[in-house]
Amino acid sequence: MLAFEATWSLMTPEIVLGALAMLVFTIDFMTGIHEKKPFIGRLSIFSLLVTAVLVLVMNPQGGQIGDTFLVDPFAMVFKLIILVGVALVIMMSMNYLDRNEDIYQGEYYSILLFTALGAMIMVSSADLITLFIGLEIVSISSYALAGFKKHNIDSTEASIKYIVLGGTASAFILFGMSYLYGLTGTTSLYEIGAAMPELFADYTVMIMISLLFMLGGFGFKVSMVPFHMWAPDVYYGAPTPVTAFLATVSKLAAFGIIIRVFTLGFESIYAEWAFIVATIAAITMIVGNFIALTQQDVKRLMAYSGIAQAGYILVPIATVLNNFSITVIIFYSVAYIMMTLGAFSIITLVSEQSGRKTGMDTFAGLYQRSPYMAVAMAIFLLSLAGLPFTAGFIGKANIFLLAINGNMLWLAIIMIVTSIISFYYYFGVIKQMFMAEPKPNAEEIKVPGGIQAVVTVTLAGTVLLGILPNLLLDLFTGFNWMI
Amino acid sequence: MTVPISYFLVLAAVLFCIGLYGVLTRRHLVIVLASIELMLNSVNINLVAFSAIGPYADITGQVFSLFVITVAAAEAAVGLAILIALYRNRDSIDVIKHDLLGTDKEKSVSTLQ
Repeated sequence: MLAFEATWSLMTPEIVLGALAMLVFTIDFMTGIHEKKPFIGRLSIFSLLVTAVLVLVMNPQGGQIGDTFLVDPFAMVFKLIILVGVALVIMMSMNYLDRNEDIYQGEYYSILLFTALGAMIMVSSADLITLFIGLEIVSISSYALAGFKKHNIDSTEASIKYIVLGGTASAFILFGMSYLYGLTGTTSLYEIGAAMPELFADYTVMIMISLLFMLGGFGFKVSMVPFHMWAPDVYYGAPTPVTAFLATVSKLAAFGIIIRVFTLGFESIYAEWAFIVATIAAITMIVGNFIALTQQDVKRLMAYSGIAQAGYILVPIATVLNNFSITVIIFYSVAYIMMTLGAFSIITLVSEQSGRKTGMDTFAGLYQRSPYMAVAMAIFLLSLAGLPFTAGFIGKANIFLLAINGNMLWLAIIMIVTSIISFYYYFGVIKQMFMAEPKPNAEEIKVPGGIQAVVTVTLAGTVLLGILPNLLLDLFTGFNWMI
Repeated sequence: MTVPISYFLVLAAVLFCIGLYGVLTRRHLVIVLASIELMLNSVNINLVAFSAIGPYADITGQVFSLFVITVAAAEAAVGLAILIALYRNRDSIDVIKHDLLGTDKEKSVSTLQ
């Protein structure tokens, strides 16, 4: 616990990213409020790439700063996922921002950089206070991002809903944390984990309250089912690139801390909470997939699809917590961020071309209007549904096999059945793109460079991981995730 | 004579429940935000009580509560800023009127106006 012996150099990527985010912020207010500032977007992408390189260079040897800040393969891979995810979000935002006059460009980019910073702190933390600060950096920035179109009623309303419910979720997390602190006298997850078996025997009720409150609060961030009500409304109202951010980076970072807290802190009482998580995973998959069947709006559909995907990622956590299940989760996270960001970049493109509407019919005849985008979107959706030869299929197959081997047959069956149901609503969009005639006034879509780049990168990732999953799986299997 | 810690814990739990009730039932958005503050402050009572007379009393709880206060202030600032943006768009900060995003969009607007 001696903070003075800490090797602060482990924090270099975070410090550099923080400094660059400040720099972007400063350059922004020195260049006026209403300009278009594509160079700030490029600078932000550059900062994220610099940070990613620093993570790759500085982090592999591992280490920790006084039990509060951990650098291990788990944190490193999650940081890379987050940085690449935010860079892709910024790339798809650049054209969107140019077309929407009511968004202040510089602040948008610097806030996104700060969320990346917060998410990096989240996945690296091994202490309740550090974890909470990282979580709140991400949350508060997300509230602001969701309401970024401040003259648009839907956007501000999404934002107020998000802040009211998100603040409540934070209060739940804190309340759970306060009991954990009170019973152990420490906020370090290692020490809490060491004291847990004895503690659970003495104070069963209080530990369960604290566990459930924290699970509920984190569950809000990943939109698992009893706490998912905000997701469709916020996803619908927020600017589309921000929706992409909330559906991917914010959700995966929250999964990162769920895994971290439950592995380090609550592993010794695994038997007590595994069934709760399994039940929640089952309900999440069922509710997410069934409500998605009735959606007529693409962003809402993607929200429910994201809820269902959160259910799939919960299955390995509920089955067993070991090195292999973390490998499975991280592989699925990589696949998920690829296909979801790809799908959202095409939704951004199409909705901008059709007067900022996001109804299912805006996709009518996309194949005639832009064949590449239509085929790419079809592949992303099929990957989300889990068709073979896509990254989504490999990820789901791994989760399925893990659940069967871990004696969670009922969960595996629910997963398969709901995945099959999900084909129906994904095919609804695909049918619109290929079978329906384009609207009479629809013209050919000109694809801006940023979106083209995002789609190409994510498409390559989705297909490559579907055909050669061992590229990543072999690498991941060699990691000892948690130190 | 010291007050037993259970009194503080019960007080905090009660305040937390009042805050949650306020968030769920109040129509006025400022009161909803205040209720969230109440929930966060009940956590502070817990932390400070544990830190002073808990089974493992030490300074960490007070440090934690300072972090909570700071974050709560930041959240309130962003919340009120969003509230002002919403008010400028809608001329009202009544929760129930703000259900444009809900699926029963037409119903809620027509019954209120």
